[in-house]
Amino acid sequence: MKKILSILATLLVLGGTGKALGQNIRASYKTDINIVSVNDVHAAIENMPKMAAIVDSLRAVDKDLMVISAGDNRTGNPVNDMYSDPSYPMIALMNQMGFLCSAFGNHEFDSGQAGLARNINESAFPYICANIFTDQELGIQYIPYKFFYVKGVKICILGVVEAEFNGIPSTHPNNVKGMRFAQAEETIRKYLWLRDECDVFILLSHIGYEEDVEVAKKFPQFDLIIGGHSHTQIDGGELHNGVLITQNENKLKKLTHTVLVVENGKVTGKSATNINVKDYPKQNVASKCLVDFFSDNPEFKRVLAQAQTPFSSYEELGIMMCDALKDFSGADIAYCNSGGVRYEDHPAGDFTVNDVLRLDPFGNTAVIVNVTGKELRDMLIACKSQDSHGFPFTSGISCEVTYTDKQQSGVKDLKLFGQDGKPLNLNKKYKVIANSYAIITSDVPGDDQGEDINALTADILMKYLEKMKTVSYQGRKCLKENY
Amino acid sequence: MIVKVNKEEVRIFKGATAKHAILKYILKKKMEVSELDEMKVFDSQGHKIGDDAPLKDGQSITFKI
Repeated sequence: MKKILSILATLLVLGGTGKALGQNIRASYKTDINIVSVNDVHAAIENMPKMAAIVDSLRAVDKDLMVISAGDNRTGNPVNDMYSDPSYPMIALMNQMGFLCSAFGNHEFDSGQAGLARNINESAFPYICANIFTDQELGIQYIPYKFFYVKGVKICILGVVEAEFNGIPSTHPNNVKGMRFAQAEETIRKYLWLRDECDVFILLSHIGYEEDVEVAKKFPQFDLIIGGHSHTQIDGGELHNGVLITQNENKLKKLTHTVLVVENGKVTGKSATNINVKDYPKQNVASKCLVDFFSDNPEFKRVLAQAQTPFSSYEELGIMMCDALKDFSGADIAYCNSGGVRYEDHPAGDFTVNDVLRLDPFGNTAVIVNVTGKELRDMLIACKSQDSHGFPFTSGISCEVTYTDKQQSGVKDLKLFGQDGKPLNLNKKYKVIANSYAIITSDVPGDDQGEDINALTADILMKYLEKMKTVSYQGRKCLKENY
Repeated sequence: MIVKVNKEEVRIFKGATAKHAILKYILKKKMEVSELDEMKVFDSQGHKIGDDAPLKDGQSITFKI
C-alpha cells in the first residue's frame, strides 16, 4: 500500500509540472558529453580522412561521441561542387564518418531547391534549422530542433541560419525561391521553451561570431553555441554570459572538441579545445578511398558544348566569358579583366568542364553594379591600370583604346560603342556585370559599390555553354587598340 | 558597403569577403598583390578569420603579411 501511495505521489508531483512522464527523464548522475564540431568545411574533402581518424580515436574512448556540423559543408572545391550530383562527395564522407546532424549554411542552398532536396535525401543525418520556411512542393526536409538522448542525458539542438542578404542567406536569390527566412533572434526567442525540456540546450548556428556573442548575451539559456559562417578561429571556446561559443576557421584546418559535464540534469562544467586536422598524421582508410574515388572524377571530362570553330586569342575566349555573364544576369554590359582569361587558344570540338576550370580557375564570383557610361569608362581604365595582361574584354559594348605608348603604361583615350556601333551614352545608367576581381581593380566610384550575386563565374560559363550547345567566336573582336 | 581594413575605410561591394576587401586595400596602398598568399586575417577582437570570411557593412578587420 505504501508503495502504491509513493508511486501516486510521484505521479502527482510530475503532473504538477505540466509535463508528461517520460519527457522528464533527467540524468541523475555525472557524465561527460563529448562533441566534435566543424563549420564552414567548404568541401575541403582532402582533410576529411584526417578528421575521420580523429573521430575514430575519440570514439575509441567515448562511443557516444556527437559529431556535428554548423553548416557550409559545400562550395569551394570543384571536385565536390562540379560532381555530377553536386556536393554528393561531401555528403558521402559525412555519412561515412557518422555525422549526427548539420545546420544549414548559406552555401547549402547553392545548388538550388532541387539540389538541396536531393542532398538532404542523400544525407544520413538531419538538417536542423528553425528560421526557414519552405513551400511543401519543394520537398526540402529539415527540422527546427531535435532531441538526442546520450548516456541518459536529454540534449536539445536548435538550428539557425543567417539571412542578412536582403532577408535571405548569402546565395543567389534564385536558389531560395519558394523559401522564406525569419531573423535568427526572433526565432530563438520563440523556441526558448525548449530549455525546460532538456538537460543540455545547444544552438547550432550559422549566423557568425559577433551574432553568436549577441545571442549569448540575450539568451543565457543556452549551454553551448556551435557557430559558423564568419570563419572565426576561436581558441578552444569562449564563455560569454555563461554560454560557451565555439567556431573554427574555414576549410577544416581545425575542429573543436567540446566536453560538457552533466550532473543531475544540469551542465556543471564545459570546456573546448581545438584539434589540428590539417597536420594530423593519420587518415581513416575508408574515408581516404572515398576521397581518391571522388577525385578521379569523370565529370571533369563532361562535354558542355561544341566549339564549331577554334578559338585563337584571349579576346575570343574573353568575349565568350563576358557573353555568359551578360546572358546569365540580363545586364546591359559585361566585362572581365584580361588576366582573368587563362589560356589563349582552344581547338574546334569539345568544350569540357575541365576546359572551363582551366580557363577560369580563380573561384571568382559575379558582381553587378549600376553605373553611368562615363563611370564605366573610368572603371575600365582603372581595371587596365592594374592588369599587365591588357585591356578588359567586354560584351554589350566595344572599346577603342589609345595608349600613351607601346608599353601600354597609360591610357590616353577610351571610346565606348554600343552594340549598334554608335558611341555609348556616357550619361545613361547601365547595369554592368563583371567578375569580383575586375570590380575590385576597377575602383567603382560612388557609394553604390554593387552586389555580389553569389554565383561563380566558372559556373556561369558552364551553364552558358550547356545552354548554347554550340559556340563560334572565331574572329570576334571587342577591342581596337591604338598607340 | 564600407568596411575597415587595418583601420582604414574601404568601400566594397555587398557580399565581399575578407580577401576582396584586403585586395582593394592593397591596391589602394600600391602593395604587392602576390603578398596576399602569406597573409593572416583577424577580426576586430583579434580572432583569426579565414580569408574567405564574409564581411558585413561596418565590420573591421586587420591583416598581417
